[in-house]
Amino acid sequence: MANDEGLIYEYVWIVIVASIVAGMAASLAYYGIALDLNPACNATPIDVTTLTEEFQPGVKQIAPGVYQVNILAGQFFWNPNKIVLEDPVRIEFRITSKDVVHGFEIVGTNVNVMVFPGYVAEFVWEPPKDAQGKYLIICHEYCGIGHQYMQAELEIKRSNTLLSQGDITNGSNTEDVGEFSKVKYLKFNGVIVSEG
Amino acid sequence: MRVNEELFAKVTIAFSFIILGLGGLFGLLQALNRVPFLSMPGVLEVSDSTYYRILTFHGVGLAVAIPIYWITGLTAFVSPRILKLEMDRRLLALSLAMMLAGGVIATITILAGKANVLYTFYAPMKAHPAFYWGAALLILGSWVFTAAFVKQYLQWRRMNPGVGTPIAIYGLLTTFIVWIEATTPLVITVLKDFIPMSMFGKEVDVLETRTWFWFFGHALVYFWLLPVVTMWYYLIPKKLGVQLFSESMAKVAFILFIMASTPVGLHHQFTDPGLAAEYKFMHTILTLIVATPSMLTGFNILATMEKAGRARGGNGLLGWLAKQPWKDPVYLGLVMSLVIFGVGGITGIINASYQLNLVVHNTTWVPGHFHMTVGNVVVIGYTVVTYALLSDLFKKRLVSKTAAYSHILLWTIGLFIFSLAYYYAGLYGAPRRTSNIEYGGLLPSTWVLPMEISAIGAILMFAGGVAAVYAVLGSLLFGNVRGVAIEGMKIGNPSPETTEFNPLLDNLKMWVIFAAILIVVAYIFPFYEIFSRGISPVPPVEAGLS
Repeated sequence: MANDEGLIYEYVWIVIVASIVAGMAASLAYYGIALDLNPACNATPIDVTTLTEEFQPGVKQIAPGVYQVNILAGQFFWNPNKIVLEDPVRIEFRITSKDVVHGFEIVGTNVNVMVFPGYVAEFVWEPPKDAQGKYLIICHEYCGIGHQYMQAELEIKRSNTLLSQGDITNGSNTEDVGEFSKVKYLKFNGVIVSEG
Repeated sequence: MRVNEELFAKVTIAFSFIILGLGGLFGLLQALNRVPFLSMPGVLEVSDSTYYRILTFHGVGLAVAIPIYWITGLTAFVSPRILKLEMDRRLLALSLAMMLAGGVIATITILAGKANVLYTFYAPMKAHPAFYWGAALLILGSWVFTAAFVKQYLQWRRMNPGVGTPIAIYGLLTTFIVWIEATTPLVITVLKDFIPMSMFGKEVDVLETRTWFWFFGHALVYFWLLPVVTMWYYLIPKKLGVQLFSESMAKVAFILFIMASTPVGLHHQFTDPGLAAEYKFMHTILTLIVATPSMLTGFNILATMEKAGRARGGNGLLGWLAKQPWKDPVYLGLVMSLVIFGVGGITGIINASYQLNLVVHNTTWVPGHFHMTVGNVVVIGYTVVTYALLSDLFKKRLVSKTAAYSHILLWTIGLFIFSLAYYYAGLYGAPRRTSNIEYGGLLPSTWVLPMEISAIGAILMFAGGVAAVYAVLGSLLFGNVRGVAIEGMKIGNPSPETTEFNPLLDNLKMWVIFAAILIVVAYIFPFYEIFSRGISPVPPVEAGLS
């Protein structure tokens, strides 16, 4: 037991620790609640044995700047393995696996989601306006002996930036997000692999 | 052969350093193999299947097997001496047989390449059934040891009603309480899902089994950390010849570990689809709470050091730091592991910070973090405490003090280089758990230099690890013919080591009940979400087949 002189330091430190923890918790809560930045992702169960009929991989543009991207993962591929998007503002991803757990990462962004067999992961990415060029997509969860060869490419093309940005922003202002979670990924230092 | 506490401790501790030698060698090979465009034909060629095989051993051996063996050994040595009571020797013998058999079975299965599933063995990838049986046997054996320890403690408690639990026993009890919290969900899912999957092709749900795994996975880290925390609290004041600054604060820290070590697993699953943000946030807050006992510990130990340093005439703001017994490798190693753990712990807060996790999840940031924590406490903390056990338990001298110092120095420098490089590359998205990060030459240039630097760190760590294994196993082999005598734990001196019974802090039963309630509350919601949606089982897939 500390003596009385020591006890005051003990209490001061406990107050400091409690304040640090409360401060961190408050800042995370602020980002989560006020700015709607949450690491959440919908999952819809899917029967892995009838996957080929129920799930069509591919890219579909549903409105100006709004894309639906369905990706099928397997040992050791992403299908499609080349995705080209023009002036994307809102990308709705649906990703599932036909065999084991994979990890979907667009390198240089903070798009980072686990991909499970038996579930379709559904999330939205609103890429930063300066995202442009070719991005490397990798698998970041060990999925077997060829795991390190599992890769794909995302290319973001930009037309006349100022004009189209305005149009697209208006077009996608609808709050109708359907079954998708309102996940917005944080903008993070966009490392562009090579210029498009 | 009759198993007593000393034999038990000798076997398990020696076993843990053999695993450390092998796992450390594998770690070096992995770090070198990951350097982009570094070709080592004929010298250190690691094929992809070899890579994942040795990575599985590196993870299972160093993160699970070593802590189990070393911690049970330490406890079997310390507890009878402090409590002055024998352990149940039939339970000890049973536990030793189960743990050794389980460890050997799992090791052979992994090294034979029949379990390339990595330390997390996520379903539906399946290993040979012997891998799961071996792991289950190892863990159930540690439960038998836990029963022997708890039985011994309860006997002591009945005999000493008015006495506070000695801090070393308090810390070790905390360790095993957390271990039972951690392994219960693991044993459930291994018996219910993984063994039937591996033997009979049972279809299992990926999200459910991952949730069980991480229910275990984070509490595991407190299991391997807590005995070192205990030794900080027990040995550092002893070495300094002073009382711990605040024993009640230490007990509060252990209670917080009991309460909050386990209900935090979702912070490993932030990027999992199908778990609601609310539950992830709840586990985030609990994770921040489990950081508080570490902050209390840092304060308590540093205050003890300052008090002792000032009493020895160290003046001014930092003069007390010069008045520490740095020449004692046990003391140096204990303080060093505390400092490194501080850095590792802060990066853990970053991982666990909810939104920030998206940037670093499954990148090299994560191994950077856990090498600073487990790599540090296991290789520095466990090893220097083993030096102290040389004289007390093994009745040997330390074969080389130079080896002991170079181990601490090389490991610390190497660890900082390795981990800082991994942190940096992780911020740029470099993946962990891959044999190779070249991606056909498309990798970002930001990944290359850190991987090269990390290899230098790994070489230094390996050299430090060799020195550690030599210092321990060399002393066991040659310590009766040469070497220097090293100060042991001096258990019972000064005596008495006990304080008065505190009805709040010494009532562990009450805190265990509170912890159980908190764990149920934290996990009932995510499991309700998983099962109410309806699970979606998938067939098993053989590891390594395409």
